[in-house]
Amino acid sequence: MKRPTRLWLHMVLTIAEAAWLLPMYVMVSTSLKNPREVALGQYIAPPHGLELNNYIVAFGVLKQGLLNSIVVAIPATALAVFLGSWAGFFLAMFRFRHSQTIFFVASVATFLPYQIILIPFTQFMAALNLFNTQLGLIVAYLLLNVPMAALISATFFQMLPPELQEAAALDGCGPVTFYFRILLPVAQLGLVSTTILIFTMIWNEFLIAITLTQGPYTQMATPVLAGLKGNYAQLWHIQMAGAMITSIPPLIIFIFLGRYFIAGLMAGTLKG
Amino acid sequence: MRYSKGHIILFLTPLGLVVLFMYAMMLWTAYVSLNNWVGMAPSWNFNGLANYLTLFRMERFWINLQNNILWMVIFIPPTAFLGLVLAYALELSGRAEAFFRPIFLYPMALSFVVTGTLWAWMYDPGSGVINALLKGVGLGALAQPWIASPKQALYCMIGAAIWQYTGFAMTLYLAAIRDISREIIEASRVDGASDLQVFIHIVVPNVQHATMIVVAMLTLFSLKVFDLVWVMTMGGPGNSTEVLSYFMFVATFRQQLVGLGAAISVIILILAVVVVIPYASWSMKRMQT
Repeated sequence: MKRPTRLWLHMVLTIAEAAWLLPMYVMVSTSLKNPREVALGQYIAPPHGLELNNYIVAFGVLKQGLLNSIVVAIPATALAVFLGSWAGFFLAMFRFRHSQTIFFVASVATFLPYQIILIPFTQFMAALNLFNTQLGLIVAYLLLNVPMAALISATFFQMLPPELQEAAALDGCGPVTFYFRILLPVAQLGLVSTTILIFTMIWNEFLIAITLTQGPYTQMATPVLAGLKGNYAQLWHIQMAGAMITSIPPLIIFIFLGRYFIAGLMAGTLKG
Repeated sequence: MRYSKGHIILFLTPLGLVVLFMYAMMLWTAYVSLNNWVGMAPSWNFNGLANYLTLFRMERFWINLQNNILWMVIFIPPTAFLGLVLAYALELSGRAEAFFRPIFLYPMALSFVVTGTLWAWMYDPGSGVINALLKGVGLGALAQPWIASPKQALYCMIGAAIWQYTGFAMTLYLAAIRDISREIIEASRVDGASDLQVFIHIVVPNVQHATMIVVAMLTLFSLKVFDLVWVMTMGGPGNSTEVLSYFMFVATFRQQLVGLGAAISVIILILAVVVVIPYASWSMKRMQT
């Protein structure tokens, strides 16, 4: 069958692609310009040199925040994925009384906006002396992400071939052994997807981060970046360098593990 | 594989405790909303629905609620439509798809704080990118105050959100289009159907479930949008871009009207429940089949 040339297709894709790339392009190029170049307002023009000083200034402001984000996001992600997949595995593999109800109740908790638990959350943290601490942030993100990790990992585990379970049963292997010896090595697509999605969500999160911490020592990168916007108002080259630095971990994940990121994102909608 | 009751307890206790804790905190919020709690320390002065009545008498509350509704109305249809058109275009583009797809998806990896910082500059009336581009191509007369105008700021912000979320809708639609049987599409092509006819008569009717997911997820996003508002406008100019979650934060943590803030949270909860419960039951039914 003859394929039509489809002029419309190329036009739509080219225009849309330009529109989607433009913000990223001006962000990168402006982050490398000196103030005089930026003042010209010729944002499409590429930078003349590489003004790395912008990055040094922005990094100086952000470095404690970046460190805090790393210190918080890594353990919170690891624990959330472990505890979540621990339950997700059981919910995906076995049908028992109320297993559907548990899954339903956990999904609802995942999807509801977490503004509705923000007030007791802060009180809870204050009562435990965890307000304005990194440990407090870890606990908060852990609690918020365990149900999410359970749902996402369960969605992936459901796709595993049933023969896996049957073979394990023949060998007399119980659920605990199965989880550690078979599931963890075999279900890597699901586990990697869950991990990087939750890591990215925590890294990018803002509301919990500004509610539970104040001041430069405990704040994560996102509130610091939001503050940078106030302190360096109209200094677009510094703001863009700061935005770039904050985006490096998620963008690296997207570039190298994009397939997993998207798979996790889709599983997170329970699309089935 | 054999398992016992002990296994159920062993595997589900951590998740169960977390989920119970979250529901308990929701109830706690609901109870706080019935108290006249002002200040940092808890104060339990039961005053019934007084916080809600105060809220309903505030013009600010209605403006915020209206803005949340505007978000849904103006954000969701273009995002879904663009996502569907791009998904169809990508599906038709064959091998080029692998090249084009990430370009629409990378914004999903960015923080809203980054998106907000970037787009606040794009829309800056004085030295922003969009006005500079318009001047650069001789269309300076079309330059707008954008984010600085109370009339335009909300739409500007929604524009940034469309940029960020179109790839999400596109991915869901792309998966849905690929689930459509090849034979139906090929048969209609043999009958001489154009791209547009295939789109209208085959693609659109067969991606309804993707639309359900997109609409549900974007509605939830519209209900809880906070970061973009904070970073781009702080609710301004005036309170033209304020939404309920922003008001909730300001009332609770800046003005320390905790009871009032809790009442706003409960209203957000009620609006979200209307979407979440049907959506969760619908998707669970789908997963079982």
